[in-house]
Amino acid sequence: MDKKIRVLTVKVGLDGHWRGVTTVSLILKNAGMEVIFGGFQTIENAVNVAVQEDVDVIGLSIHSGAHITWIKKFVEELKKRGLEKEFVLVVGGAIPEHDFAMLKQIGAHDVFGPGTLPDKIIQSIQEKVEKKELENKNV
Amino acid sequence: MLNKDDITKIKSEKDDWIKKMGCQQDAEIFHATPSGIKIKNLYTPEDVSNLDYLKDLGFPGSYPYIRGVYPTMYRGRPWTIRMFSGFATPEETNERWKMLLDSGETGFSAAVDVLTFNGTDPDTPGVDADVEVGTSGVPLYSIKGVEALVKDLPIKDISVALVTEPMTAVGLTSMYFNVAKNKGVPLSQVAGTTQNDLGTMTIGYITYDSLRPDKLLKLACDMIEYCTAMKQAPKWNPINFTTYNYREGGINAVQEIAFGFTNAIDHIEEMLRRGWKIDDFASRLAFHLSADRNFFEEIAKYRAARRIWAKILTEKYGAKDPRSIIMKYHVQTAGSSLTAKQPLVNIARTAIQALEAVLGGCQSLHTNSYDEAICLPSEEAVKIAVKTQQVVMEETGVVNTIDPLAGSYYIEWLTNEIEKRILNYMQEIENQGGFVKSLNNGWLFNEMSKAFNERQKAIVEGKERVIGVNCHLDEEKERPIPFKTNPWAADVEKERLRKLRSERNNQRVATLLDQLRRDCAQNKNVMPTVMELTAEGATLGEITRVYREIWGIWELPIAI
Repeated sequence: MDKKIRVLTVKVGLDGHWRGVTTVSLILKNAGMEVIFGGFQTIENAVNVAVQEDVDVIGLSIHSGAHITWIKKFVEELKKRGLEKEFVLVVGGAIPEHDFAMLKQIGAHDVFGPGTLPDKIIQSIQEKVEKKELENKNV
Repeated sequence: MLNKDDITKIKSEKDDWIKKMGCQQDAEIFHATPSGIKIKNLYTPEDVSNLDYLKDLGFPGSYPYIRGVYPTMYRGRPWTIRMFSGFATPEETNERWKMLLDSGETGFSAAVDVLTFNGTDPDTPGVDADVEVGTSGVPLYSIKGVEALVKDLPIKDISVALVTEPMTAVGLTSMYFNVAKNKGVPLSQVAGTTQNDLGTMTIGYITYDSLRPDKLLKLACDMIEYCTAMKQAPKWNPINFTTYNYREGGINAVQEIAFGFTNAIDHIEEMLRRGWKIDDFASRLAFHLSADRNFFEEIAKYRAARRIWAKILTEKYGAKDPRSIIMKYHVQTAGSSLTAKQPLVNIARTAIQALEAVLGGCQSLHTNSYDEAICLPSEEAVKIAVKTQQVVMEETGVVNTIDPLAGSYYIEWLTNEIEKRILNYMQEIENQGGFVKSLNNGWLFNEMSKAFNERQKAIVEGKERVIGVNCHLDEEKERPIPFKTNPWAADVEKERLRKLRSERNNQRVATLLDQLRRDCAQNKNVMPTVMELTAEGATLGEITRVYREIWGIWELPIAI
């Protein structure tokens, strides 16, 4: 791909486990992506930043156990603003595999639980972005 | 100390042994500990030839306390089995605590939810706060929540640890003190600990809209001053420097202790600036350490830490009271060592780490549940974790003699080595202006990120072996269904607050909140006012909002 993939990494809610999101941000940056580290944001702000920064991917980091509710709320916000097809949405954190299917059903394109190796995250994001670009072309 | 001739003889015989046995090659290989200490194939008296038993080791309960802080250690009294626990609602956590008590737990420890950490009420407008009510700890937003948490529990006899940081520590502890008073336990008798460590919630975990580190230091010292120096709650440990949390952020054993001690030094300096003498408050400064993967390095760490602390308190600060000089600490086995893959293997990891903590001489211990890399601990998993401690305590016999590894050439050498490195690294932090300053200028974050990224790389490259993750992989099996907390907790807690606000004297609360504003603006100790506020039913959110309003929010020095 000639164009660099742009990613917004962000934590939503009050949960302050920051280690994972900064580590993954660095991994993506080292893989040649443009990473905008959003820090802690409300959902509304996170979507604002994603739009302003014209990112391809939004990566949410959630360690509080409330991932299903957060993703539901996030997808609702995107839908409300007609943006549900704009971004590749991925989520990572302390998320049991048991919940992966549910999160994907709600609208996450991929989920990265504990122990995911960096290559898997990079590869998945690249594939999802390519797929999305193809879809958008065909529309 | 052996004499010089003996040492020379041992050295020459060792060289002969290496030749005779043909292990020259092996003798040239060094294995590094996670702190980067190079380990040889064999240790002999030569490696500890300068050891002066009476000066460097001494006896348990006496200087330099390396062999243990009490003269009888576990023979006199076993460590406290204190399980960090909390979820959903205070009522459900109360049930879990009763189960833990029945299983043999001897101390309580409250894991609070993120709203409690943040001092944010679930009904705060403009924040989607209610999503996380009770998802990662017990919600304790007002005195009503604390009352429900300890209902029918013997808190007169069993100490409680309140795990929260300075922004909400004064508020939550005041609630607990008021509840204890109402239950007939006067402040002079109330026993327990508040985590109250500004490093915990800035270094490993960052609270949303945190105050600046200097303000967190002020609040932490307000509680040390109120409880210990002013003798209002003399049996309470008003702070617990939680190096465990820093360690979980990816640093090594040397950095863990150096972060913790330089942080403690900043608190000591602040208390001295307020005009107190070291023995007025140092007796209640406690620690919470990690038990991580490298067995012997961790044991050496505990021993070295006790000796360093004793030296700092006496040589640097002139403490005389032995209670000020001893380093008392709780240990938690390393959550970051647990894996989501092959989760039952975590039972073995935790058992080994628990043994480390006990051989190292801890005063209190939390063992992780095997499912913690996946979800909050289920009842079954937490029971196994308690029983793991009981196995160490009652089956292995390791408690029968004090500091059983002392005198091992390797352990004593490693203890000396790690002590040297801790002191050097403490100097590096002091060169940055101390812990609080280097936190504020981003230096500590960089150090931590560097350490973590190196470790992550080592795992990816397979240099650090993690069973089930990068080696000894199994066929993927159907995973157990994770333990889930009650999804209605937010409604329960919002209703609890609504009821409280309709029943309390709102005018009195408003007057006291104004008093708190003045206390903050004039830099007075906030604890007396917060004691009154919480008794009147003020919430953590209302109290914390005053701090944020007067002092502002911290802009994090983190960059990618």
